[in-house]
Amino acid sequence: MTSEEILQRVKSHRGESILQAEVALGDAVIHVGPDALHDTVKFLKDDPELSFDYLSHITGVDYLEQERDLRFESVYEFHSIAKNHSIRVRVALPEEKPAVPTISDLWPSAVFPERELFDMFGFHIEGLANLKRLLMPEEWEGHPLRKDYDLNWEDVAFTYNIDTKRELVKEKTLSRYKPGQD
Amino acid sequence: MSVAEKGLLERTKDTMTLNMGPQHPSTHGVFRVILEMDGEIIRSAEPDIGYLHTGIEKSGETKRYVHCIPMTDRLDYLNPPTNNLAFCLTTEKLLGLDVPPRAAYLRVIMSELNRIGSHLLWLGTHALDIGAMTVFLYAWREREMILDLNEMVSGVRMMTSYIRIGGVMRDSTPDWLKGVREFVDIFPEKIDEYEALLTKNPIWMDRTQGVGVISREQAIAYSMSGPCLRGSGVNWDFRKKRPYSRYSDFRFDVPVKYNGDVYDRYLVRVEEMRQSREIISQALKNLPQGPCKVEDNKISLPPRDTLHTSMEALIHHFKLVSEGIHVPPGETYVPLEGARGEVGFYIVSDGSNKPCRMKMRAPSFMAIPGMCKIMEGAFIADVVAIIGSVDIVMGEVDR
Repeated sequence: MTSEEILQRVKSHRGESILQAEVALGDAVIHVGPDALHDTVKFLKDDPELSFDYLSHITGVDYLEQERDLRFESVYEFHSIAKNHSIRVRVALPEEKPAVPTISDLWPSAVFPERELFDMFGFHIEGLANLKRLLMPEEWEGHPLRKDYDLNWEDVAFTYNIDTKRELVKEKTLSRYKPGQD
Repeated sequence: MSVAEKGLLERTKDTMTLNMGPQHPSTHGVFRVILEMDGEIIRSAEPDIGYLHTGIEKSGETKRYVHCIPMTDRLDYLNPPTNNLAFCLTTEKLLGLDVPPRAAYLRVIMSELNRIGSHLLWLGTHALDIGAMTVFLYAWREREMILDLNEMVSGVRMMTSYIRIGGVMRDSTPDWLKGVREFVDIFPEKIDEYEALLTKNPIWMDRTQGVGVISREQAIAYSMSGPCLRGSGVNWDFRKKRPYSRYSDFRFDVPVKYNGDVYDRYLVRVEEMRQSREIISQALKNLPQGPCKVEDNKISLPPRDTLHTSMEALIHHFKLVSEGIHVPPGETYVPLEGARGEVGFYIVSDGSNKPCRMKMRAPSFMAIPGMCKIMEGAFIADVVAIIGSVDIVMGEVDR
């Protein structure tokens, strides 16, 4: 199906929950609210005409300092193996308490990317049992892929002193990257 | 059906937790898995990743588009040109750019050469994990040829960054084309050599057939991609399904096997090497003449010698080097077939010269939960074979 036909079919069956449907650079894209997400993707998966059975990836976007009502977005990309077409589902989320329902009951592969969303963006994934950090250490503070999280680096914590022939432990220092400096 | 399901061993309450990794040699990188063991049978496997996290997606937001390309090399470091290609195709889609045919063909040749290189490395280490030493040495011998070819054309053996926005870094040389042709000519008999060592080898077959089975439905549900999906009977290859970079010009088959075990994934990859060689030989034969990058000087640098004579070229050069390419606002995703499966970049542009968000869809990252699912019910001795057959690269898992 072409992107227009996909959107037509989704709109005719789930029109009330679709906030916006567009063809962006040839890709079919729908915008839904977090409450309608689970219902909508379940329809996308079960509908025989669409049959989006393959979850490609889930990712988050932070639109800080851009003209938008809602700061965050959670993006889902699906393929249909049988029909060879794709759709993208975008869910805009508010700055305070960004939360999306889990879709790991429909696609078991969603667990990892959803944990990554929690780790990197601090989205709360409703209904995900094992919600803990994935890539960063468990005691890490902050969510690195948010735009207000500075890109910083740590100096080496250990150094070897030739004169005293022993290791020195340095104070942990953080160097900050100032956005805009290039 | 796993041994545990057959009821050969009853489930007991006494399980043992066994830690494997992160420095285990057969996990191919710093990957840790915590195994819940019942005797020799694995009840559950809990993956632990993040040891190689380098924050490439975060750094990408502070770098210009051109500067992101060398970072994409470091993601799947065994097959860098596909990563470059994925990034460049996505950016070019946002720019609304079409590259000249010669550039597209050179991109295909580089991608396929390095697909073979990646599969050779996989074949060598996978066989070494299972206990076949000789294949490792043979596979390394041919991979060396590919790395030499990489060096000839781009100056670097592994992190090539050869594919750029709007084309390729520079045109191929006749020496390089001759080298590629030599490789194409000798490679079929080399594959026969590996196959003579492994394919009908009873020890290899015992060790891999019926081991680490994943069904078609589960492979799809767990978002496995590439050879893991095709080894389970799903005919899914983006080079055929959504031809990018002029793949529709080439005749090649997509190998599909149906048992979904370690042996079938091996057969799929070996056949893929033959098909990649076929694509390269067709691309060499039909390599179009013409420019190897777009002639729009807002995208690609003007030729060096024009800088001394043309004011316009000098301005373009200055603007491109000091500011970079401004990409129109929008967001898009282009899926590609890498050596391990679906590779793609999801890029959000806000109109500036740096991506607002650069996310990589990494096949290994998505395959890890599925891999741990395969491990359930398997023997501890098969874990190494299973990890090897899924072919993960930790660089793109942790990003």
